[in-house]
Amino acid sequence: MRISIRRRRGPDIGESGTLSDLAFLLIIFFIVIAVFNVNQGFLLGLPSPDSKRVVQRQDLLRVELTSVGTIRMNGEPITLQDLTKKAFAFRQNRPNMTFALRIDPDTPYQKVVDIVDLVRTLDVDNFSFSMETVR
Amino acid sequence: MKIQRRIRRRPIVSISAMSDIAFLLLIFILLISLINYRREIPIRYPEAETIETTHGDKNLEIWIDPTGATFVQGFRYNITGIEGIIVERIQQNPSLRIHILADRDTPYRYVHGVMEILQRLQHRVVSLVIREKKP
Repeated sequence: MRISIRRRRGPDIGESGTLSDLAFLLIIFFIVIAVFNVNQGFLLGLPSPDSKRVVQRQDLLRVELTSVGTIRMNGEPITLQDLTKKAFAFRQNRPNMTFALRIDPDTPYQKVVDIVDLVRTLDVDNFSFSMETVR
Repeated sequence: MKIQRRIRRRPIVSISAMSDIAFLLLIFILLISLINYRREIPIRYPEAETIETTHGDKNLEIWIDPTGATFVQGFRYNITGIEGIIVERIQQNPSLRIHILADRDTPYRYVHGVMEILQRLQHRVVSLVIREKKP
């Protein structure tokens, strides 16, 4: 008597859907990676090099950044927290305030970013920054 | 007479076609990510609290490392070379968004150098790429 051996068939990789699952997971991975490449930061409008604007002396808030990153307001050293408080108070008294920032060429970039961040929080329309040696 | 009944088969949705579509999508996304391949320069990003998405339709990224070396697409250029690239790319696409990705310790003079070029070229908008400050 001939006994027929029944062979078990494993699941077909194409039919089972594992391939499509794998492919879709990879697609999601690449889409997520692509999202990470989106740049975030500040969008600054640059004036023309020779543009000049007349502002009232009382509306002007002068801030300087030294080469080591020390902040000075009207010539006096000040912390970022104190500058934030004073700038907010100034903004309330003078809605047309102009924030004038003088930056030393050797100032670390992070210190400049801190001040620009503050200016954005203040929602000041007039913000000017220039690079000069601050002594 | 015996009437043969037609046995109804259950409808089957073939999953193998699904995996084909998934793989085609995968290849498509792989190719797109290869085209948009970003050559990064190792920098420590500056951080701020109030950031926004600055990514445009067409973008040019200028990387500045802590020593002031300037890179575009992974290649190092001097400031004249950077100006040449900016001019060429703006001529191709006037609405080009220019991003400055500088290390937090980079002296400000190098960032200012790139912004001066943009001002000279009357390119009014610049994006400073920054990471969100985590509380």
